[in-house]
Amino acid sequence: MSKELRFLVVDDFSTMRRIVRNLLKESGFVDADEAEDGVVALQKLRSSNFDFVVSDINMPNMNGFQLLSEIKKDEKLKHLPVLMVTAEARKEDIVLAAQQGAAGYIVKPFTKATLEDKVNHILTKMGLK
Amino acid sequence: MSAESPPIAAAISSTEVHHQLGVLTRQLHDSLTGLGLAAKVKDWAGELPDAKSRLSYIARLTGEAAEKVLNSVDQAKEQHDHIASETRRIGALIVQDPVGTVAKGHVMNFINDVEQASKKVDGHLTEIMMAQDFHDLTGQVIAKVVNLAATIEDQLVQLLIQTAPPETAIATPVTHEPYTPALDGPVVNAQGNPDVVTDQSEVDDLLASLGF
Repeated sequence: MSKELRFLVVDDFSTMRRIVRNLLKESGFVDADEAEDGVVALQKLRSSNFDFVVSDINMPNMNGFQLLSEIKKDEKLKHLPVLMVTAEARKEDIVLAAQQGAAGYIVKPFTKATLEDKVNHILTKMGLK
Repeated sequence: MSAESPPIAAAISSTEVHHQLGVLTRQLHDSLTGLGLAAKVKDWAGELPDAKSRLSYIARLTGEAAEKVLNSVDQAKEQHDHIASETRRIGALIVQDPVGTVAKGHVMNFINDVEQASKKVDGHLTEIMMAQDFHDLTGQVIAKVVNLAATIEDQLVQLLIQTAPPETAIATPVTHEPYTPALDGPVVNAQGNPDVVTDQSEVDDLLASLGF
């Protein structure tokens, strides 16, 4: 079932988008699309169906916090789990992300096992796995 | 120099030099204050050591990434060499005794061996891929240092224009964007900073302690 889930990977660095997509693929999640910032991500989320969002925070145009807030305000999108994968390591950012409804928080640099664990934990919690 | 020119030491005494330096310093201070730049200069003074540690962070991260990639390549090549030599060995055995090679389990052992080696090579390739995350982390830090350099340059140009003699003054006013730092980005020096986490386990502990 999990192999049919569709992911959206949001990061302004193409290298990181590629790394996350490859790691998801290695974990069996082959269906993933990319967006380079929150604005593009929101457009894609509103025009297509996704099951999971993996998002950076520090991005131009619309950062990860703003994207998270937009997703949670949108009736059609608010059910989506959003996993933050970011270099922002301030405790107040982590708490803020959790309060805004992030499903998880990974601080960069991270390992393949960390990403896999967090994604699987969130999917299990949501009954998607 | 003509014979009538007085020696420099005689023409300008050290007291006068110090006086002139004092006047220049005062003028610079007044100009900076008048332009509202004194506070900015204080900010730059605070930001420059930070820029220095950010550049050290970039050097460290790129060095570590290169080291990680080279180590993984070495280990992957070892596995590759092993598969190549085993392939040659099993090929020779098959040519010598095709039936015996299969019957004695040499072929099956070889297949298992290749499977194990492939898994290890795949792990090394993943390591090489993960090492490329330095691009994202250093990119964010470089952007901050470039932003700081651009801000200082802009302010200095403005100072130059404002304090230039009237005959060389440039009529066009230069506008500058205020220095607005983005989010913090990667932590370049977490030691002794209680406001940041240093690894994923601290993130998990923090969230768990808050009931998330």
